[in-house]
Amino acid sequence: MAAKTGVYLCSGCGIGEAVDIAGLRRVAEKDRRVALVRESNFFCGRDAGWIQRDVGDGAVNRVVVAACSPRFYGAVFDCSPDIPVVRVNLREQVAWCHEPGCEDTLMLAQDALRMGLARAAGAGVTQPFLLADPSKTILVAGGGLAGMTAALEAARAAFRVILVERQEFLGGWLRNVYRCAPVGPPYTELAENPVPLLSREVADHPGIEVCCGASIERTAGGPGMFDVTIRQGERLRQERVGAIIVAAGARPYDPAKLTRLKNLGYGTNPDIVTSPCFETLALEGGGRVARPSDGREVRRVAFIQCAGSRDPNHLPYCSAVCCGETLKQALYLLEAAPDSIVFIYYRDLRVHGREEHFYRRVQEAGAIFIRSEVLNVAVRGGSLSVEADDIFLGCRSRTEGLDLVVLATGMVSGSGGGGLAEGVLNLDYRQGPELPALKYGFPDSHFICFPYETRRTGIYAAGCLREPMDLAATLDDAAGAALKAIQCVEMTARGQAVHPRALDQTYPEFNLSRCTQCKRCTEECPFGAINEDARSNPLPQITRCRRCGTCLGACPERIVSFKDYSVSLISSMIKAVEVPEEDGAKLRVLIFACENDAYPALDLAGAGRMRYNPWVRIIPLRCLGSLNPVWIADALARGIDGVLLLGCRQGEDYQCHFINGSELARTRIMNISETLDRMGLEAGRIRVIEVGIMDYARIPDILDGFVKDLAVLGPNPLKGF
Amino acid sequence: MGPLLYDCGFAREIYALEDGAQIKRCMQCGACAVSCASRQEMEPSPRGLFSLIRAGRKEDVLNANTFWVCTSCCACRVRCPRGIDILGVMHELQYYYLKSGHGTGSRAVFHRTFWQELRSRGRIGEAGVMLRCWLKEGALTRAVLMSLEMKGTGLNLLRHRRLSLFPRKIKGLTGLNRIIDKAMAQQGYRE
Repeated sequence: MAAKTGVYLCSGCGIGEAVDIAGLRRVAEKDRRVALVRESNFFCGRDAGWIQRDVGDGAVNRVVVAACSPRFYGAVFDCSPDIPVVRVNLREQVAWCHEPGCEDTLMLAQDALRMGLARAAGAGVTQPFLLADPSKTILVAGGGLAGMTAALEAARAAFRVILVERQEFLGGWLRNVYRCAPVGPPYTELAENPVPLLSREVADHPGIEVCCGASIERTAGGPGMFDVTIRQGERLRQERVGAIIVAAGARPYDPAKLTRLKNLGYGTNPDIVTSPCFETLALEGGGRVARPSDGREVRRVAFIQCAGSRDPNHLPYCSAVCCGETLKQALYLLEAAPDSIVFIYYRDLRVHGREEHFYRRVQEAGAIFIRSEVLNVAVRGGSLSVEADDIFLGCRSRTEGLDLVVLATGMVSGSGGGGLAEGVLNLDYRQGPELPALKYGFPDSHFICFPYETRRTGIYAAGCLREPMDLAATLDDAAGAALKAIQCVEMTARGQAVHPRALDQTYPEFNLSRCTQCKRCTEECPFGAINEDARSNPLPQITRCRRCGTCLGACPERIVSFKDYSVSLISSMIKAVEVPEEDGAKLRVLIFACENDAYPALDLAGAGRMRYNPWVRIIPLRCLGSLNPVWIADALARGIDGVLLLGCRQGEDYQCHFINGSELARTRIMNISETLDRMGLEAGRIRVIEVGIMDYARIPDILDGFVKDLAVLGPNPLKGF
Repeated sequence: MGPLLYDCGFAREIYALEDGAQIKRCMQCGACAVSCASRQEMEPSPRGLFSLIRAGRKEDVLNANTFWVCTSCCACRVRCPRGIDILGVMHELQYYYLKSGHGTGSRAVFHRTFWQELRSRGRIGEAGVMLRCWLKEGALTRAVLMSLEMKGTGLNLLRHRRLSLFPRKIKGLTGLNRIIDKAMAQQGYRE
């Protein structure tokens, strides 16, 4: 089908005043693929029907809207799925941030339109990737509070659920707990353990199939088509599921390691116990606690918080629940015998949200809170005593005659090793059987935007496996993960990307006949979406894919492409930029901006009417990880003087929506800078800068600074060749 | 000095007082200390005092000037995030102090004199309170010596009509005394 591009030039929102629309019309009319050009100052409202009418008449089959940023009015300009729509950002990135009526501004707008026309010409029609028989069953691994809640939430939304629990009974950690911290108003009274009720509800629910005493031998496939082998005793069974929720929980910090904290005396006296051990004693005694050494009921107890937590030699983090657990355990004692004496040694009492009411309740019940660093726990006159550096009194203090000392220990994710939930799912992925962990063994996800998503699409972490959390948070978390799993199975069935590019119907296609089996795509894919066959050919698993295009950037043979995003398409956009021939007069800078953060930051700079150099030409990328080095070569060969890469923050607290895109881009640039040197081009012509969305105020400085540095280097010597 | 030993007996005694139990709620944030109008003079702050009570430091608590320096301005009460009636606690501690036989200290003397002045005139005359106080503390000699020492301040106050040497009684003094008596009887306090 021959390209018939319709160009819609908007002059509203100040574009008409800043840019000569006739000058843009000349550019559009020069392009022989353009069927018609229309002008208006109100395409997003009054004249929105023009585009739909032209498409409906068959007058155009590609649409270029030169108006505001693609971040606005998406729904207004969207046509039928088989009509590619390209947005040229004249408002935020031209009219609002450059000198109105100036020659440079017009040239910028004309280049933006040329790039848009090139993009429209190269865009193909996307057919969604549809599975023949997508499964919508949700598998929940782990039958604790988080797992059971997630299973119930999904089942109540009418999805079939399979719940796999390793032990013989449902309940998980809470099975060994006497009472729970309050989860409902007035947030001051101990709550009954929810497990008996919840596990009955789960077992009775017709939509949930419970497999206790079972484990997962192998998980293959991807969203909508996970093939899971479940072992229950000697019996093996095969299930096809759409999404997986992992709620394998956490374990308490190994008490053996506490013996290294010599001052706390753990292991030297049977009456120095950990908080899980105290919980067991309370459960056995029905709220009354007998001292391990002689079985006498305890009346004077000291709790020591952060035992092995927030300590670089043990657990460097806060486990979030220990303070609440201690409050609860103190209340066991004070409710059983109101004249009990309870000391709580703490560094910071981290009770958040409504737990504050519970804290107050325990204070009123008479527990004595001592903010301090504990110096030592010792035996003194036949009973225990605690000595501490008392922050409130400003001196050392001691409590004596204690029957029991309880050390509040933190929690550790998974079952050790580097991976998250080791041995739980046994993924049959090229990247290994485990979910990658980020820090302290907790899952690697985009903490702010996508908390539940692990680095394996369609597998969601919930509960204490995801991060240490209390009961109330676990209930919310499980519901959240269930919703994410539902979203996953539904969108996968429609052939759409799940997240972060939700609703995207494009997907990477591999021209395998040209593949050289270099394995770069399979290794660099942050989500393990590409398996390998025996001969090292990539086997893309489209439903696992998040459409970031990292494979496209990695491939030296350029065999990976999306219908609306490919190496040749971006190259054609680069070639559409007109580079002035005359030496040194006007430099040209190409900016590859990450769509997720850098591009919105550029928009915000425009919305803030900040001024920056008009010699820049901006191309949005799905992720900086999709940057193919050949584009840099194209740009420099074309005579463009410098290339600037704007991406997200990398490193431990990365902001990249696709984990390590900006890191990959930096590595690729480092690799090609040697080649540049050999070509006689300065490495300084290429720069990578990390920009967050809130860094928009820095945009003018970044861009102007780069242009200034380029001016020092002088024009690209390859100009005009 | 060895480490300070926590003793819950005294704390429980204070918690048993009518307003004393509120101290349990204190989370030692220090909002009272920074809000206090008399914080220059006060030692320790209400926060510090509560932590001493909690630790059972009876002597330190009774020697504190906190509840005497308190001017009942209510700033701490307003700002306390735990809603502790710190004023009530301070008054409670004043009476606890007087009841526990510490009535001979200078602060207790001042407290008594203050009430005496109020009872006899229905208002507070600074000169009257100070003279009575000095007389009680060290008889005539002290009264004369202190008056001489303070004469500059006194004369300045007189010049600006801020001080009256012979303050008048209020109208209806008997009625006021009856009100005070009734209130005290209800609360179970003695002067």
